Amino acid sequence: MTDDATDDAPRHQEEQKAFAEEADSLLAITIAPLIWCAHFLVCYCGVAIYCAKWQQAFSLGVLRAGLIGATVLALAGIALIGWFAFRRWDVRTSGDWVHERGISEDRHRFLGHAAFLLALISFIAVCYVTLPLIFIGSCA
Amino acid sequence: MTDRHHSDPEVPRPEGPYPPTEAMLSEPVPEALQAEQRRQLAAAWDAPKGWRYWTAVNNSEVGVWYALTAFFFMLCAGVMALMIRVQLAVPENDLISADLFNQLFTMHGSGMMFLFAVPMFEAISILMLPGLLGARDMPFPRLSAYGFWCFVIGGVFVLGAILFNAAPKAGWFMYPPLATEEEGVGSDIWLLGLSFIEVASIAAAVELIVGTLKCRPPGMRVNTMPLYAWYVMVVGGMILFAFPPLIAGDFLFELQRSFDWPFFDPARGGDPMLWQHLFWIFGHPEVYIVFLPSIAIAAMVVPTVAQRPIFGYSWIVLSAVGTGFISFGLWVHHMFTTGLPALSLGFFSAASEAVVIPTGIQLFCFVATLIAGRVKMTPPMLWIAGALAVFTTGGLTGVMVAVAPFDFQAHDGYFIVAHLHYVLFGGMVFPVIGGIYYFFPFIAKKQLSARLSRWSFWLIFSGTNICYFPMHLTGLTGMPRRIYTYPDGLGWGWLNMISTLGAFAIAAGFLVFAYDLLRPKGGQGQVARNPWNAGTLEWTHDIPEAKWGVRSIPFVRSRYPLWDEPKLVERMDAGRYYLPDSPEQKRETLITSVIDARPIQVQEVTGPTWVTLWAAGFTGGAFIFPTFHWYGPAMVSAAFAVVTILYWLWTSTARPPRHEMREAGLGLRLPTYASGPAAVGWWAVWITMLGDATGFASVVFGFFFYWTASDFPPAGSPLAAGWPAAGAALAYLASWGLTLGARMLNRGERSGAAMACLALAPLLAVLGAGALILSVLHLEPASHVYPAILWAIMVWCVTHTIPGVIMQLYCLAGILFGKLRPRHDADLWNSTLFWHFLLLTALVSAAVIGLAPRLL
Repeated sequence: MTDDATDDAPRHQEEQKAFAEEADSLLAITIAPLIWCAHFLVCYCGVAIYCAKWQQAFSLGVLRAGLIGATVLALAGIALIGWFAFRRWDVRTSGDWVHERGISEDRHRFLGHAAFLLALISFIAVCYVTLPLIFIGSCA
Repeated sequence: MTDRHHSDPEVPRPEGPYPPTEAMLSEPVPEALQAEQRRQLAAAWDAPKGWRYWTAVNNSEVGVWYALTAFFFMLCAGVMALMIRVQLAVPENDLISADLFNQLFTMHGSGMMFLFAVPMFEAISILMLPGLLGARDMPFPRLSAYGFWCFVIGGVFVLGAILFNAAPKAGWFMYPPLATEEEGVGSDIWLLGLSFIEVASIAAAVELIVGTLKCRPPGMRVNTMPLYAWYVMVVGGMILFAFPPLIAGDFLFELQRSFDWPFFDPARGGDPMLWQHLFWIFGHPEVYIVFLPSIAIAAMVVPTVAQRPIFGYSWIVLSAVGTGFISFGLWVHHMFTTGLPALSLGFFSAASEAVVIPTGIQLFCFVATLIAGRVKMTPPMLWIAGALAVFTTGGLTGVMVAVAPFDFQAHDGYFIVAHLHYVLFGGMVFPVIGGIYYFFPFIAKKQLSARLSRWSFWLIFSGTNICYFPMHLTGLTGMPRRIYTYPDGLGWGWLNMISTLGAFAIAAGFLVFAYDLLRPKGGQGQVARNPWNAGTLEWTHDIPEAKWGVRSIPFVRSRYPLWDEPKLVERMDAGRYYLPDSPEQKRETLITSVIDARPIQVQEVTGPTWVTLWAAGFTGGAFIFPTFHWYGPAMVSAAFAVVTILYWLWTSTARPPRHEMREAGLGLRLPTYASGPAAVGWWAVWITMLGDATGFASVVFGFFFYWTASDFPPAGSPLAAGWPAAGAALAYLASWGLTLGARMLNRGERSGAAMACLALAPLLAVLGAGALILSVLHLEPASHVYPAILWAIMVWCVTHTIPGVIMQLYCLAGILFGKLRPRHDADLWNSTLFWHFLLLTALVSAAVIGLAPRLL
């Protein structure tokens, strides 16, 4: 990525690359919330199936420990995404919190900033969803 | 026709300088040329006259019809609310019968949510988005018009039922067994009528997502687009994942109502809880689908009244996207009292508290912007301020009811009624009215009255608090929802009387607003072009009105181009920017790339037509006739709908262009045809199919839900035939392979071989569908939920095969008659994309039908 304001000329074969390239980088900001989503579903489905079908097979403690393990993985994943996004945002060298200019550099940093904030909220939300796993010990 | 191009395997691409230099932009356009360009554009975008007015598809017409229709439905549902309030004003009132009362609250809720809140978002977005993006129109104007007519027909059908005393009466969420066992056609009207309207919502979602992603003006990168566009994109995505579960639920529900397949009947293995899950997986995101686009209006109004850029643009994007995700993890908080495991309740309670964070952040950003700016209390700002106050109050009680033990007490009581009305008034009604006051000079080229706005505001604002605040107390003292009367001596009487008075104050405020909106404004003279001194592109509109949208599509470099580029409007008016003319007098708009909005194509958009009305009418028949068990007429109507839609597509979409390239202005030459991922149509199919796949996933979820909930499959019950299911999977795979092969062969100019593939593929698809039917044919769907859900999955897959086959034949005809050529193959790309999803559906269906019961 260059910081040049005039890197805007149409690219070769832009149409073919459009979907993959562009959708990817816009969807990239949603990876952290998607991890939240996956973690949420694993917790919810795991508990729902356990409480309906598997209560005789093993204790809830095992499931809770497993799901807390999933939380650790999810948080690690989100932290990693957040770190990449933070570097992309690059606020420490640029000091830019606003990214309002219509140039590639600002768009690049903006996507980093947005992805970083989304990682932050996803991190908090995963922690929230984990709280019941710590405090509630029964299917009742 | 230039044969050289369509036989050229090299796809044409943009040529010429981009971005434009300041020297290019400051070069004047000769007066004579400007006049000629204006004449061409006016001819291309001329609105149909007389009775043909109703054939219009332009966003400025359809958007206004849409908004006024939704407003009318809202007034109807509001009158129902007044009747409810009159009945409840005093204890032991016998003004309205219990039965009518049930119809009234059911239709009040259903009407407000399905016929007002969501359609109003679609209406305002269709109306405003092209202006905000400096685009000529939405990418698929006829789709908007079709969606609108579907909405009108469905809305009149559903709401009109109450005039015949035939309206649904099981509550707006239609819980079984009450709703499944209900006599009469009320529940069917709800299920089929609203499913029909959901089709319109999904059409609008497709239109708005593609519009936001691909129709921005050159240079408007994702970091400079108006926040409203961000919200629209998020909400469009939410609709795709929220509405299909409800459609799937409606599908199962109607199968039970019509054919007695026992999905929600516990006596035969069914479970009413499945409906609650599917309904609320829709129903909770729905709240945010209503809230986000309304608060998005605040994000447009606030910078203008503060006369400074929004504070925390990235944070608001975080709010929109974050809320969009987390709102899908809240649905069980409507089901806290259904006996789910405490641990499960905990997850949803936690997520319900977590969603407060992104929701709150955007409000803080607005307040910060207002503090940092110089605020003038204009009419729009008054409503936005009211919105912030009322919504915050509703949000605080939301935090309370998200705590499961508190909800156990408040559930199904008036505390909840108070909470949800505060949220919806603050989160939707106030900002939307503020938005109408703000955007009215753009929409109607007239001003609304500041004095009437104040009257209306204070009546509605005080009415809201007088009506709903006492309900917190009525609820806490134990009054349940949905009772048509209550005994004296419980202390509820005076609170209810106050609420009723407040309701009439709200109604009076709405009357003032409606009068202001509809009163003749002929004597007003010309409105100022940018009356609020706003910074965004919609205020470059032409005064007096011109139908072409924007005179020329600007090159944009900032979030508030009108503040930052003083010469922008003058240059737009002179036709200095892109697409300033229309030499062939066609309607066109500019397609740009998703992230950085580089211009990549000139897209022809469709014009006025009757076909959308016909298509909507026949589609309506297909949904409405089954209400009365008239399946024959329904099938005929569906067949006519298919024929009309095919005619519409064949005559006006993806036809090979007369010229491959078009001078787009400022020396840029752009292609006029695109297929595959470069085409907006392909994106639309992709988005639609994502929604469709969600619907299918919801049906499959049903299968596994039954598996967790009971003895499933029941011991000793016959299984589906395995070999036909496996054969079906293979046949679908082959049909998909042939479709994909046809696309590749056609690109390689081997049209004959492509046609052979497209002739064979439908046969295999039909074979696959037949095999799938065969695999479950010996099972009795009415006997138990296990065969019923297998049948439902089969019906879903087979029904989707019909459009799959039609598409293959459509492409075959396209090649045969020269509509579809080696390089002009958009139809074939779109059909292949559909088939990717159909193949997935078929493989999952075959696996769930043939394999899963053997493994579980």
